[in-house]
Amino acid sequence: MSVPAVVVTGLGTVSSLGLDAEALWQGALACRRGVADLKLFPTATHRTTIACESPAVALPAELGELAAAERFAVKAARDAVAGLPVAALRTRRAGVFFGSSTGALFEGERYLAGLLRKEEPSLDMLATVQNDGPGTAVARALGVRGPVVTYSTACTSANVALGAALDALRSGEVDVAIAGGADELCEITYAGFNSLRAIDPQPTRPFRKSRAGLSMGEGSGVLLLETEANARARGARILCELAGAGRSCDAHHVSAPEPNGAGAVAAIRMALRDAGLQAGDVTFVNAHGTGTPHNDDAESKAMAALFGERAKSLPLTSTKSLVGHLLGAAGGIEAVLTTLSIVHRLLPPTAGDEPIDEALGLDVVTGAPRALPARNVGLSTNLAFGGNNAVVLLRSFGA
Amino acid sequence: MSRDVVVTGVGCVGPYGLGRQALAQALAAGQPCASPVERTAGYHRPNAARLAGRCAGLDFAPWLSPQAARRMSDLSQYTVTACRMAMQDAGLSDVRGDGTAIVVATAHGPGGFTEQLARQILEKGGKAASPFLFTDCVANAAAGQAGIDLGARGPNVTICQREAGPLLALAQGAEEIARGRADLCFAGAADEIEPLVHAILDRFRAIARPTADGELPRPFDRRRNGALAAAGATMLVLEAEERARARGATVLARVGRTVRAFDPTATRAGFGRDADGLADTLRAGLGTALAAVDVVVSGAAGTRAGDALEAAVLRAALPHGPAVVAPKAVHGEYGGGTLAAGVLAVLGAPFAVPAACGEPDPDLCIRLAPRAEPARTVLLSALGGGGVAAWTLLHAE
Repeated sequence: MSVPAVVVTGLGTVSSLGLDAEALWQGALACRRGVADLKLFPTATHRTTIACESPAVALPAELGELAAAERFAVKAARDAVAGLPVAALRTRRAGVFFGSSTGALFEGERYLAGLLRKEEPSLDMLATVQNDGPGTAVARALGVRGPVVTYSTACTSANVALGAALDALRSGEVDVAIAGGADELCEITYAGFNSLRAIDPQPTRPFRKSRAGLSMGEGSGVLLLETEANARARGARILCELAGAGRSCDAHHVSAPEPNGAGAVAAIRMALRDAGLQAGDVTFVNAHGTGTPHNDDAESKAMAALFGERAKSLPLTSTKSLVGHLLGAAGGIEAVLTTLSIVHRLLPPTAGDEPIDEALGLDVVTGAPRALPARNVGLSTNLAFGGNNAVVLLRSFGA
Repeated sequence: MSRDVVVTGVGCVGPYGLGRQALAQALAAGQPCASPVERTAGYHRPNAARLAGRCAGLDFAPWLSPQAARRMSDLSQYTVTACRMAMQDAGLSDVRGDGTAIVVATAHGPGGFTEQLARQILEKGGKAASPFLFTDCVANAAAGQAGIDLGARGPNVTICQREAGPLLALAQGAEEIARGRADLCFAGAADEIEPLVHAILDRFRAIARPTADGELPRPFDRRRNGALAAAGATMLVLEAEERARARGATVLARVGRTVRAFDPTATRAGFGRDADGLADTLRAGLGTALAAVDVVVSGAAGTRAGDALEAAVLRAALPHGPAVVAPKAVHGEYGGGTLAAGVLAVLGAPFAVPAACGEPDPDLCIRLAPRAEPARTVLLSALGGGGVAAWTLLHAE
């Protein structure tokens, strides 16, 4: 039995660049940063003061009380499925595969603060503090009846979810899958990354010589995935193909990447095998590119190991320089941007003015979008705590 | 690529002790493994539940050095210990490499470290946050620690899907092998129950509260009023069958199909009402294989709505009325004990009718019975709060 192709037919995002994928794309092309002074909580006791906060999301009242991460997720998912008949969702042939690193942890923090003040906070704040909150909120809002699974592998969560959706579509378990991730800003991750000196007090500068850490972000990125047959049968516009996914573990350190990028290489090789592609087929990279000295260094070594000399001329960008690091949602929003890069044949630039770190040996796109060839294979990588690596390959449909 | 997947080892840590023999003894005795929960932090209401399934006093040293344990949350300690124990049970001495995957489900993650970190920040400010606590408070830290400890460089996945998580993890692990992404996978679940999590579960009325009859988990019993929240970890060694055969491993059980479903009538924190829809999905997914089920290892934990939904689904999907066992009456909710109980059911370990379940709820029409013979086909069932459901078949060798 042949394995069905899996295609992307819908996109939805919430980010500091706006409340939909078009706003995100236009902002990315204009190299606009979503970073600003953090308003969600006071930063006086924190080491840094900025982050990429998303605008508030308003949803219909019938969806009930939702935490911020759930609102991001539901808004992005509703956008992604906008072209799909409701009946195609309210069936066991539709599933949700979602990533979240912290769920509704901000609300959890407020709840604990109330308890510590000897108050009795509303349980509504806590109903979905567990990490499955955003994914199950999407499933409930859309009325799906098929598989619903939340993956929580820190910064690779959404890429793992995309890979799981690919499995479910290929196996015939579902015809459509809503896949991606959502996360919200909270004090624990903000203070935690600061405790590791992993947040840049200035806007993040991935792959720059002066890079000094990441900018925290929040939001959601969601893709509507279908089997090609399902998409064709309903006359959907096919944006690109989700060609393969791979994942691995460094088995090296709980928070630091394996210095030579060996784990990332293993995940990318698995994805290439999964897609039936060679490294030479990849035409651009949407890198993990957090802007921390160690991550960018390890990732550049992975690129060198995979692409050899071609790494120096393979267009590579870090969209985290624009919207910040969305943690468990990063893979979702980066897959959306990778899809849009394939559709428009343009790779958004990596924000920043300082000189690129030439020692990394990468062709980092800066200043303006880079034109891409007519047919593309985009590699989107994410690396995470726990030594977790997960990547996806998206390609022009029919390539 | 599609390969058959078998279970060759079980490692488990729980309030019943260490290892599958300890769990088997507890299931045969039918007594809940409960002890008083720490309440001095002040999180609990006066009338709150007082018992939990705690892992206090267990000696992990044969599997995890005290030095390594000091660098880990309780969740990571349970997970790594269960992995090492499962490895030993499977007769494996070295699992390092790209072909070894790890899949862990956790409902609550490392709650103790998260609470400590949150209190540092809330009480002393952001700059007081401990990097040590932060790096081990992410949900996937336990799977990452297991990867480091075992040298497992294959896929490393953490699933957070409340009570359905353990079966989803088992299915994910089997998928990693079936699709050729790994030859060996440690798949299971882990949770810790710290006072804050316990107090919150109590506020949600998810766990049993004291009554005149005691404070006990009573699956399918008319007096049930909640689960026993329990800590622990269960990890199964899954292998491609040809690999297990080639190395002469003892096959404990074969992993069959999994069906996954969602009940959109569920509330954010509670169970839904669509038993017919769930049963339809279960029947559509397993078809005639359901008729071969001779034992159901139920995920019923003693909650009013969850057990009612579980009973309705089982009645609708399994009209031939196979034996039903409810091990969560003994090992509690969370920690993946039902995975090990499923393997024990295949192997014929005795299950007593739990002592607290002596008055079956006539509305549910589920009567627990003692069981002591090997099963040919076991159905593991898990309905999660929030609406996610999963069922997996385990077959005798």
